[in-house]
Amino acid sequence: MLGWEFPPYFAGGVGVVCEALTRSLVGRGHQITYLMPLAPPAPGAPGVELIEPGADAGAPGLELVGITARLHSYAAGAGPRIRIPGEVPPPAPRPLYGPDLLSEVDRFAARAVEIARARRAAPDLIHAHDWTTFPAGVALRRALGRPLVAHVHITEFDKSGGAHADPRVYEIERAGMQAADRVVAVSRRVAAVCSERYGVDPARIRVVYNGVDADTRPAGPAHLPGPVVLFLGRVTLQKGPDWFVEAARRVLDAEPRATFVLAGTGDMLPRVIERAAALGIADRMRFPGFVDRERASELFGLADVFVMPSVSEPFGIVPLEAMERGVPVIVSRQSGASELLRNALKVDFWDVEGLAARIVSLLRYRALATELEEAGRAEAQELDWDWVAERTEAVYREVVHA
Amino acid sequence: MPDVCFYFQVHQPWRLHPYGVFDIGKSHDYFDDRANQAILEKVATRCYRPMNALLEELVAKHDGRFKASFSISGSALDQLERWAPDVIASYQRLAATGCVELLGETHHHSLAGVAHPGEFAAQVALHAARIEALFGRRPQVFRNTELMFSDALAGPIAALGFRGVLAEGAERVLGWRSPNFVYASRPEPALGLLLKNYRLSDDIAFRFGDRGWSEHPLSVEKFAGWIHAVNGCGTVVNLFMDYETFGEHQWAETGIFEFMRRLPDAILDHADGGFVTPSEALARHPAAGTAEFRDWVSWADSERDLTAWLGNRMQRAALEQLMALREPVRATGDPALLETWRRLSTSDHLYYMCTKYFADGDVHKYFSPWDSPYEAHIAFMNVLADLGQRVGAAVR
Repeated sequence: MLGWEFPPYFAGGVGVVCEALTRSLVGRGHQITYLMPLAPPAPGAPGVELIEPGADAGAPGLELVGITARLHSYAAGAGPRIRIPGEVPPPAPRPLYGPDLLSEVDRFAARAVEIARARRAAPDLIHAHDWTTFPAGVALRRALGRPLVAHVHITEFDKSGGAHADPRVYEIERAGMQAADRVVAVSRRVAAVCSERYGVDPARIRVVYNGVDADTRPAGPAHLPGPVVLFLGRVTLQKGPDWFVEAARRVLDAEPRATFVLAGTGDMLPRVIERAAALGIADRMRFPGFVDRERASELFGLADVFVMPSVSEPFGIVPLEAMERGVPVIVSRQSGASELLRNALKVDFWDVEGLAARIVSLLRYRALATELEEAGRAEAQELDWDWVAERTEAVYREVVHA
Repeated sequence: MPDVCFYFQVHQPWRLHPYGVFDIGKSHDYFDDRANQAILEKVATRCYRPMNALLEELVAKHDGRFKASFSISGSALDQLERWAPDVIASYQRLAATGCVELLGETHHHSLAGVAHPGEFAAQVALHAARIEALFGRRPQVFRNTELMFSDALAGPIAALGFRGVLAEGAERVLGWRSPNFVYASRPEPALGLLLKNYRLSDDIAFRFGDRGWSEHPLSVEKFAGWIHAVNGCGTVVNLFMDYETFGEHQWAETGIFEFMRRLPDAILDHADGGFVTPSEALARHPAAGTAEFRDWVSWADSERDLTAWLGNRMQRAALEQLMALREPVRATGDPALLETWRRLSTSDHLYYMCTKYFADGDVHKYFSPWDSPYEAHIAFMNVLADLGQRVGAAVR
């Protein structure tokens, strides 16, 4: 398994996904060696650090192998940050993306092959997550003669909104997908991008949705006086926080006691706060900034409605977490999750009126909210990582037996 | 050979617009006339016109020996009068032959029988008057919405002057007994019960065009053979189905029209085989016993109960809030408001909110104009809220 992140060494959602999938696969009896970039350099073998082999994951089938790198995370460099009083500081930026990310990606690939050769590795298959590990996946496939599964969580087109795809990144993505024996896409949306923008034969693409594990943290503190509507995610164009604010304005006409919590940080946060002030609803909004998983869990405990108004979302795992916590969910139709979820309300991200109307309906009609809470929780419990691992195994069987 | 009793349900609801919460107080335009017209015209073209023509042909060809019965809801009649009046004319010709019987029901195809005795009686009377005005005869036999029936409804139906009721031949009512006899209602022994033979009915209504079905393709000879096999342990086989079986659920390409064109020949070939209307079945065959409907039974889904309409709390809340508006609406004395309220009582609105997705869900999805049961509930509750505002009652 080739990943760019693995909790606690992670910055974005993909790391969480890789960990959960890896642990579930190990739980199902697979032996996994997980290669990832890691800093700082460890003493010993130059450039290679073995972190508590077989122990770190708490599972006997898993071994984490770090390859030293001088890189920065996704979140760092994501634009100007503003300080919010009382904010839990985000984790210190881990050096994952470096000054020259592309050369790090190449170096990761070269070192991965060296390590595999040195250890005489003979895996049944190679599973690579997103473009930063695709060159390593392709190199290992060539060196070891084993099949490659390229797992696409997000493409350059999603990150750039389709307009400004970096041609070098695009080329790496394309080469990885083309060389792979199977491409796993996290939604039909992503599968369509893989075939239409990257020329992958649809017959080689398999959709494997993400899942969610039960959150066993206790419920949050006391409720706010009125109903609470929650946004939780990076505050970037892709996630649609501006649409959330516009909808809030509209909802407050009908439900003036509602509070809107926009949790997360990102380059659009200053603009979004200014917009809320300009609309005269700053007193009905809260901006807690970056929230860790503890705080996220608390916020789910407070929320009456969770909204994911993403403009473009390959999958979008947060609504599953909200559903698992019994929070009624509204997702944009422009998300991979909306393909999968049945017990969620769906709306086009640009339909401010439609989004606001659904929020108001959920706040007003008790039977509707309760039905979505219960059916949503039941649905999310079905969509656990074991279910994802099972579907991933089916892809493995195809390439191993081919 | 037992008699064969065909019954066809003809119904169209007044479907709602995606009426949003911000429309409340601003717009009183609830019903999606464009969609309703388009659907009615499509169904008229694919089903009502060709199948009515076929029935007229069969009645003429068999010299009065082919018979069938219909229930046509008041809302279907309203829509036909407005958008396809020629179909009403063809029903009138069919009724005039004496071979086609029209049954009574709630005018708006509602759950009034489940929810409100007074409203039930009012809608049944409204429908009976409508049928008499259009077809010259007052209905003698009753069919409640989607074959919903329980012993609790037997008294009210008998009190309204009906001699019999069509109901589902569910195992939990019949036990080991056959649906192919006339039964008497337990609380109202004078009220005859005709119980649907759901296996043979569904062979036509659901399985006819299913290539994966072991009996596919179903020939008239095979089907007539199954009817004939009842001989000796039944007097009447009740084939009850949605009229849209013909041309809508089973497309013309499946051969369903050809099947129906040739079926009477195959049935009538047997010396003692024949067709009866529900009234004739009740007059000809004495009750073989009593049937007890302790709980509600319907013809929907594998459960054959009310859960397709009242299975979740959205559905129950919607019906409760609707019924709470009845008195405020009536108190206005405004017939247009009452008609609007009654259109909302149509069972389809609750059916669209059904969340039984897994076992029976495909059928619900196929018959729903909504993306999800939640959207159906939202629009319905918003409309109720607006109607409530107009009559001075709150809806939450």
